[in-house]
Amino acid sequence: MNLKISALEFIEEAKNGNISVEEFVSTTLERINSVDDKLHAFLSVNDSAIEQARNIDKKIKSGEDVGDCFGMPISIKDNMCIKDSKTTCASKMLENFIAPYDATVISKLKKQDAIFIGKVNMDEFAMGLTTEFSAFGPSKNPWNIEHVPGGSSGGSAVSVSSYECIASLGSDTGGSVRNPASFCSTVGYKPTYGLISRFGLISYANSIEQIGPLTRTVKDTAFMLNLIAGVDPNDNTTVNNNNEDYLENIDSGIEGKKIGIVTEMIGDGIDPEVMTATKEAISKLEGLGAICEEVSLEMVKYSVAAYYTITATEAGSNLARYDNLRYGYEMPVEGYEFNSYISKARKNFGPEVTRRMIIGGFVPSAGHAGKYFLKAMKVKSKLTKEINEAFKKFDLLVAPTVPILPFKIGEKIDDPVSLFLVDINTVAANLTGKPAISIPFKIVNGLPIGIQLMANSMNDKMLLQAAHALEKTVTLPEVPL
Amino acid sequence: MVTVEEIEHVSKLMKIDVDDHGEYLEKVQTMINYFDILDSAGVESEEISMPEIPIEQLRNDEYIPFGDKLIEKMNHYKGTFVRAPKM
Amino acid sequence: MTKIGLEIHCQLTNLESKLFCSCKANYREFEPNQNICPVCAGMPGSLPRLNQEAVKKATMISMALNCSTPEKIAFFRKNYFYPDLPKNFQITQLNIYGDTSVGGSGTITVGDKKIRITRIQLEEDPGRLIYEGSSSKNQITLVDYNRAGTPLVEIVTEPDFETPKEVRDFLNILSDLLKNLGVADPSLEGAMRADANVSTRGGNKVEIKNIGSFHDLEKAAHFEITRQESLHDRDIPIVQETRHWDDRRKITVSSRSKEEDLDYRYFLEGDIPWVKINPEIQKELNAKMPESISSKKERYVTKYHIPQQVAEVLSSDKFYSDLFEDSHSETNAKEVANIITTELMGLEDTREKRESSKLTATHLRDLADAIQNGKVSRNSSKNALHEILKTGKSVLQIISELDLGNVSNETQLLEIIDKIISDEPQAVEQAKSNPQTINFLVGKVMQATKGKADPTLTLNLLKKQLT
Repeated sequence: MNLKISALEFIEEAKNGNISVEEFVSTTLERINSVDDKLHAFLSVNDSAIEQARNIDKKIKSGEDVGDCFGMPISIKDNMCIKDSKTTCASKMLENFIAPYDATVISKLKKQDAIFIGKVNMDEFAMGLTTEFSAFGPSKNPWNIEHVPGGSSGGSAVSVSSYECIASLGSDTGGSVRNPASFCSTVGYKPTYGLISRFGLISYANSIEQIGPLTRTVKDTAFMLNLIAGVDPNDNTTVNNNNEDYLENIDSGIEGKKIGIVTEMIGDGIDPEVMTATKEAISKLEGLGAICEEVSLEMVKYSVAAYYTITATEAGSNLARYDNLRYGYEMPVEGYEFNSYISKARKNFGPEVTRRMIIGGFVPSAGHAGKYFLKAMKVKSKLTKEINEAFKKFDLLVAPTVPILPFKIGEKIDDPVSLFLVDINTVAANLTGKPAISIPFKIVNGLPIGIQLMANSMNDKMLLQAAHALEKTVTLPEVPL
Repeated sequence: MVTVEEIEHVSKLMKIDVDDHGEYLEKVQTMINYFDILDSAGVESEEISMPEIPIEQLRNDEYIPFGDKLIEKMNHYKGTFVRAPKM
Repeated sequence: MTKIGLEIHCQLTNLESKLFCSCKANYREFEPNQNICPVCAGMPGSLPRLNQEAVKKATMISMALNCSTPEKIAFFRKNYFYPDLPKNFQITQLNIYGDTSVGGSGTITVGDKKIRITRIQLEEDPGRLIYEGSSSKNQITLVDYNRAGTPLVEIVTEPDFETPKEVRDFLNILSDLLKNLGVADPSLEGAMRADANVSTRGGNKVEIKNIGSFHDLEKAAHFEITRQESLHDRDIPIVQETRHWDDRRKITVSSRSKEEDLDYRYFLEGDIPWVKINPEIQKELNAKMPESISSKKERYVTKYHIPQQVAEVLSSDKFYSDLFEDSHSETNAKEVANIITTELMGLEDTREKRESSKLTATHLRDLADAIQNGKVSRNSSKNALHEILKTGKSVLQIISELDLGNVSNETQLLEIIDKIISDEPQAVEQAKSNPQTINFLVGKVMQATKGKADPTLTLNLLKKQLT
């Protein structure tokens, strides 16, 4: 059974009865068994998957209504709640946590007969860029297992690119969907802020993060978006997209579109291979009829510092609820006083999360808020103004998703600032709420390079059209696994 | 610049026991020192912007019980309370 | 010079649901942790959903207290760790980016004084803690989240109060006002709480927390003023601190809260956008507001000629002023008001009695009319009222069943009067010189008629017979 098909192809075949969902799911599970020891994408696998697949086959045969997903196996980043399932955020703090409810995106996909094949690995509480900060061990890049797969949605990207599932849902706070998508050569999408409900997504930085799909093709992403986007009464920050159909007219192309090349995102520190690939991408875009021109976004220089200041502050607050009293892991309360208990219980956070919490306590604190947190908020405002100005002239902005090639496991783990700067091209979209997508573009020395496109708020449809157009200009080798 | 004492004070505020480990605190210092770059951003006069929602779109005031017995899904004591250490 | 300021927390108990989720706002009927959901229990991944009616009611409270009401309001996080705080932060309001809490500065009149309101904010109540275990070694804390997320309005005043009595009067007025607005029932247990801050002779401000009732607040303020005065007299400076009220020993005690706990790291709540309350909606809310207590009082006095005192009592009570509105007519308003304030309020002095009473507006109207038409004396009407509350029977029925009809038939009365005059020769003698004694004779007539005699008529006839 061929696992190397897109979601839309799978659905077509399943709908027509050309493939059995049960067989596909069963082959998928075999695949996971055979490669995941090496890759470590999965934290848990759904042992009812085959039974669920069988039921869907029955529905298809009997002519009953079947949901749009037709049993397609999807992996879910382990920071989204699936009712009665373990949801750990790759942290020892939540190793016993069983979610009592479904996240909105999960309910929506359940209704459409998706099969959640398993929960996948991530940086602990989504804080990281390489999945090396998972409390349960790093994931490996299927293109070269000595290299990082990116993060924090590393498990999502690995599982999609190694054919362990058809698609995945990750979360993107500063590039956490786009970065691993780029490193693993898949499509990774961060929608306009508010397009997808965050209800049931365990918060890290709630004012800027979004759930996003990782898929093999841009059309697959548009398909997923159709299923999960839309206003949700359970999330006051969701916006009305008027039931937009993102697949419709996705072939429209980008003739005449103006595309800005962000100078600060191709500056010093960019790997020469990445620069070359970027220039090639720009030619392709021009070949498709777009007009490309350089544009400067001055605040990008400060965006990484602003991003880490704001996210640490929000994380410090969002993670305060993990006091191990209602949920968490086994640690009895007898013999402790309140403060000593929770301070000890919270030692179960990994070192990176602990560092971020300390920063998150520091930068908004009474003596320092003016210098750090408030300034970061103002940088966020100014960057938003700059980018809005740019979008008056340009339809899209382009840059490499990550300025460097996927690096080796362990290479940057001790150098926090160098690690921060891997995010420099992606955080702007989060800080400003704009949609952005990473498209797999090139493989150099066996390592993937992705190109990022950004559009103005609520222009997700047009962004997907452009991404689809660019995607069609390249044919990439298969993952060597 | 940020001192180790300030960092220890904050870790108490955030209720996390931190073993006194120099390198650990050094990394935090490095990170916070990087944020000094914000001083040259020239943003003093910027206003903070936030998304808005009109009051009509807020949730209607209705009592809808949750349904599941949530207390049984949390760490509980005597089936009714959550247990915490003494104050 | 004593200065007292208040921070009052009032639950919006008339709402159906909590501030950020659809669990019940009034948690009092539930067993522990039976009124919770992932949002108010602070489960991972849950998000707050703001209650529209809560914002509206908080805005109306602000309008009723003459506070400015901004067009955009924002919510903030106050971060600290405590077991009754499910998220270990409280979603509340602040004014650090301009005026963003639901009510800005305003005033309220107490007697002849204007008390300034600093601000009004909308926020969530934490859960409740119970302590179990006898010795300090085996003590544990039990947490009940039923109350967590209940909508609270916090009203902060300037330190404009000068005496504890002023504070007490203010709290009663505020209580009546909130009840009249229909936003809360302050008599429910724990529905209205207050903290105070006290400074004397220009010294430091001392905060007093953990005050259980308004009665305790007056006592706590008293104690604190005394404590500070005695320190002043000995030239000892007042430490700026938080003290808590020890109800057992009836004193304030220094709280000595730790330094670390006081940094709340306030920042905007990213899960709730700024709420726009545009001028049209504000106008609508203003128009929908029930008539204020002072306006009612004014109306009672000028339109119905109800005496000031009676109007004061009647207008301050929402239940009875509503009853008054339903039962009075053009002609009997004063009588209805009188019955309510002098008789009914005393008879129905508890919530249970009010709820089990069978009295309706019709009863009240009929009774007032009967008194005015002389069908029943004011004296007898007391008995009638008793019976109405118990049985709900019509006024007409009760007057006949209890034989309460006024004896206003002159011939009948004259007969009785003549008998009394013959029975009481001494009193009659005295009455000729001492007019006061006539009242004794009137009393005798009343006795003989079982209170049904019309007192005015009796007096006049007696006077005639005696001359």
